[in-house]
This record gives sequence, C-alpha cells and structure tokens, in this order.
Amino acid sequence: MTTTADAALPEVPLRPSPLLEVSDLRVTFRTRGGQVYAVQGISFTVEPGQTVAIIGESGSGKTVSAQAVVGILPRTAKVSGSIKFKGDEVVGRSEHELRDYRGRCVAMVFQNPERSLNPTMRIGTQIAEAIQVHLPVDKDEAHKRAVELMRMVRLPAPERRFFEYPHQLSGGMRQRVVIAIALACGPSVLIADEATTALDVTTQAQIMDLLMEIQQETGTALLMISHDLGLAASYAEEVMVMYAGKVVERAPTKELFAGVRMPYTQALLDAIPRIEAEPHVLLPVVGGRPPDLSEIPTGCPFAPRCPAVQQDCREQAPPLRQHEPGRWWACWHPYKKEPSSHG
Amino acid sequence: MSVPAADILATAVPVPAASAGEPGARRRGVLRSAEIVIPGTVLLLLLFFCFIWPLFGMVPKPVGGLLQTTDLPLFSSGHIFGTDIVGNDIMSRILYGGRVSFVVAAAVQVIGLTIGGLLGLVAAYAGGWLEAVLMRVLDVFIAFPSLVLVLAIADGLGPSEIHVIWALSAFSIPAFAQVSRAAALSLRDRPFVVAARLSGTRTWRIMFTHLVPNMLPQLLTFSLLGASITIIIEGALDFLGYGIPPPGASWGNMIASGQSYISVYPMLVVVPSLFLLLTTICLNLLGDGLRSRWGVR
Repeated sequence: MTTTADAALPEVPLRPSPLLEVSDLRVTFRTRGGQVYAVQGISFTVEPGQTVAIIGESGSGKTVSAQAVVGILPRTAKVSGSIKFKGDEVVGRSEHELRDYRGRCVAMVFQNPERSLNPTMRIGTQIAEAIQVHLPVDKDEAHKRAVELMRMVRLPAPERRFFEYPHQLSGGMRQRVVIAIALACGPSVLIADEATTALDVTTQAQIMDLLMEIQQETGTALLMISHDLGLAASYAEEVMVMYAGKVVERAPTKELFAGVRMPYTQALLDAIPRIEAEPHVLLPVVGGRPPDLSEIPTGCPFAPRCPAVQQDCREQAPPLRQHEPGRWWACWHPYKKEPSSHG
Repeated sequence: MSVPAADILATAVPVPAASAGEPGARRRGVLRSAEIVIPGTVLLLLLFFCFIWPLFGMVPKPVGGLLQTTDLPLFSSGHIFGTDIVGNDIMSRILYGGRVSFVVAAAVQVIGLTIGGLLGLVAAYAGGWLEAVLMRVLDVFIAFPSLVLVLAIADGLGPSEIHVIWALSAFSIPAFAQVSRAAALSLRDRPFVVAARLSGTRTWRIMFTHLVPNMLPQLLTFSLLGASITIIIEGALDFLGYGIPPPGASWGNMIASGQSYISVYPMLVVVPSLFLLLTTICLNLLGDGLRSRWGVR
C-alpha cells in the first residue's frame, strides 16, 4: 500500500492531491441518431478511504461516469475533461497503458453477479488469475492468496470452494467472489456499480456490510453507484445526485438528508415508500420522463418535471455551485432549510 | 366474504398430489438424454466398425474381388451385404467408404473450427476495419453456392481425398467464422469479460480462457451439423466423379457405380444410401440434442 503511494507522489503542493480527481468530465456517444450527451461536465473528488455515492435514475449518466473512470467505455464514446488518479491523467491513455492502472488503482464490482463470473472457470482460478495479472507470483502463491481473499470476503470453506464453479454458488456468494476478484490487486478505489441491486434485501445488507468492513481493513475508497437513495443514506459519507448527465446536488450525507435543496433530490426522496406513511395512499412519483440526451436543453434539465419551476428555470440552466461549505446544488430556486412539503 | 381456513387448506392439499407428476418430468429427462444417447451410440458403433473392426482381419478386402463371387445377394455366407458386380464385398466397401466419409467430415470440421473459429474470434474482438475486411471476404465465399464452389475447387485440384478436404474447407471456414464471431460478440461485453479486461488480463488470455470455453458449445453443435452436410456434399462429389477415384471405396462412388444396375441389383445403391442417411440423421440428432442440452440458441 504505502510503497505504491510513495512511488506515485511527485511534487505535491501543500494540500495533498486527492486520490481520484474528476474535473469537467464529458462523455458523448456517437450514434446513428446523432450525438448523445451522456455526461455533461461533472466534477468530483474521492479521498483515500472515503465512501462516495452517485445517485440517479436510469440514463442519468452515473454508470457511464464510472465506466469513464476505469476506461471501459465502448468505442463509440468520446471522453473529454480530466480524470486524475494521484495526479496522473487517465483520460486518453491507451488500453495498454491502462492495464496497470486498472486492478491496482481502480477496480469495479458489477451489478449482476450472475454474469460477472466466467461460467466455465473454477472460481478460485478466476481470483488467482486476477492476482497473477499484476503480481509476479507463481501458481501456488496465487492459490494461497486467492484462498486468503475468499476468507476476507467471508466465503465459507474457501479451500473447498476454490474448486467450485459459479453455478454452484448462490447470488450473494457469487457477488462475494466478484468482490474478491476486484480486491485481488489491492485497488485504492473500488467502484461498486449497483453492486447489490440484483440481490435480495438481506443479502444486499450483508454485501454492503462486507464492503464497509473491507474498507475499514484495507483503507480502500468506495465509489457507490446506485439508484437507491436509502442505500446511499445508510452507507455513504458524501452523496452526489445526478440528473440528465449533470450533478444537480452534492453534499455530505447527513446534511443532505437534514435539508434537501434541489427539487429533484426531494422528488427522489418522496418516492421512497415510508413505513410511517398513511396506508393506502399513492406513492408520489416523479411525473414525466428524463430529457432526451441527444440535445442539450437551454434551461434547467429538470424544469419540465419540477414542481417549483419558474420562468427563469426554462431560460438558463443553473450551474452547480458551492452555496454553503461542502454543499453544492444546481438550482435557481432551492428549497429553504425546512423543505416545504411538496405539492 | 370471509374465506374459512378450511377452504384455503382444501386448495392447498392437491398441490403435493400435483407434484406427483414428477415421473413425467423424469421421463422428459430420459427422453432428452435419449436424444443424445441413441444417436451418439449409433455413431460410436459406426466409427468402431469403420475404423477398428477391419483391423482384426475379419473383413474381406474392399478391392480385388473374385469373378466367381460377383453379384451375390444379401446375407450370403461371408458376404453379409452381398458383393458388387466385380465381386467386392459390399460390407467391406461400406466400412472402408465410411472411413473416407468420417475422415473427410472430421478434417473439414477441425480445419473450419480452428481457422474459421480463430478468424471469427479475432474479428469480433478486434472490431473496426479488420473485422469489416475479414467478414466481407468471408461473405464472398458464403455467397457462392457451396456445391458449385466445391466442384470448381475439386475440379481444379483433381480427384483425391485431400483435395476434397481442402475444397470443403473453403466452405466450412467462413461458416465457422460467422458462428464464432457471433458467439464472441455476444460474450465480448458480458460483465465477466469486461471484469477480466478491467483487472488487466491480457487480450490473448481473455480470448482463450474467457471467450473460447464459452463459445465451444455453439461451435461444437455447429460442427456436428456441419459434419452431416460435409458427408452429403462429399458423397455428391464422389458421385459426380470429383472425389475418391473408383478403385477406392466411398459411399458416393458406390452409389454412382451402382446406379447403372439399379433395376437389377438395387441393393448396390440402397445399402450405401442407407448408411449415408443413418450417419447424417444421427449427426443431426446428436447436434440438436446437445444444442438443447447446452441451451444454445
């Protein structure tokens, strides 16, 4: 851990540069129907050991942003802006140059454990393969480390499980294997892209707790991508809400839930069913659909669906600004400290 | 409208009884494995009798028959399928002819599988102009009517077993390349392949440890179906005189030489035709059986 940190520290200014620094990231897809502006200039930083959550509905650009960070976007994507890992630029690196960065620096856990493992390979071999890619170890050593990793992700009977195939494991156990593979080379940032979405709620909690424990043990930073605001509230330190390719609100978790400013975040919160709510009432949903990303709207992208919309929202898009220490939002008419109940 | 508990129980009780239809499920399981076991056994028997049985010296030579024993009928002593017009034992010629069919079919599939499979894999994984050029070139081969193409090649090279194999490979390589490319494309963006890429695994290793093993079911079922087509086309080439030249035995040239006597000795045509039919049906059934067993589209 410390050796890699030392090696990658050039002349650092007084403030240590963040582990991961994304600034003005833009991702555009070339399609037959024209350009699709999937991510329209987002910036964020991840500090060592931090847990950051990116929240948004389908098509908000959260997964594309994560894919840009690890450099696995499809060929049709054009990336601009900058992604710096420990001060080194990642955007524009070739597949070959990315090899060392991936796995060692960033790793990713995918949504569907069913499809994240090779069905024709023993799970132990898959973990050992990931180890051998980066570390100069022989087969026996890789085997030993794979078993250690399996123990670390709390897989029962790792020596025996090593020789099993993915179809012999449950969904939760498979996700543990996927996490073990992601951890194989000791990444500094672990990206969990909807890592628990395909699992049932109890398994979901177990996997999240596991990720938290691993974070405690290894000091890995965790970047959670999710559509589940509740999940982010329970586990993340900082939350970024994305809408239509932009970050619309960003705040430390506690402060965010103490007082939401951006109407979109409020709408997302309202859409979570509450146990203390009146029975037999309709769950408020966000009306309308997210905007078409093939054109950049002139006003605020959320304006057509916003309950608090006013004339200026339609004319000019509000920029994301830091309005209070640590609290950013992009809105002309944010809610006050006590959000007025929606309506 | 209260529902008494007894009602709920009454509806609940038949459920275990309904699940007694389990033997039906098992029977379906047996049927499904019969789809594989029966054609598989027949093919193994055919292979045994063609390749191993003659080694024990109990089969007469397929050539150099005696004039005293021409045109023997079925079930003659020592000649179970009789003899042909020059006195050769028909069973022996069937077995030696079967060797040709199986060797040609296997060789063509192996060549197609390795070269075509590799081309498709590389095309799918590399993408871009390489994929475009490769696949268009192979499309040209596929666009040709296969039998005409094969005839042209066999005619140009002259009649011999090895030339038949090359001629038929010209058809199997592009077919395998397309199947392999489609299989590789559907796998390329699967999360586990992306995950392997993400952990920094080298391209060739991804291809051979992650893609190829998962493509094999599709490629193997395709090669069984391809083998039956190969055997038929090979028979057609023999029949037309572009395959194995007549003193040598093959099912196709047996049918060809027998057809002149079809009204007098129909067995000369019927016996090799039945073997051709049996082999191709078994290959097709086995291919289909494995396809449904492995869940290949």
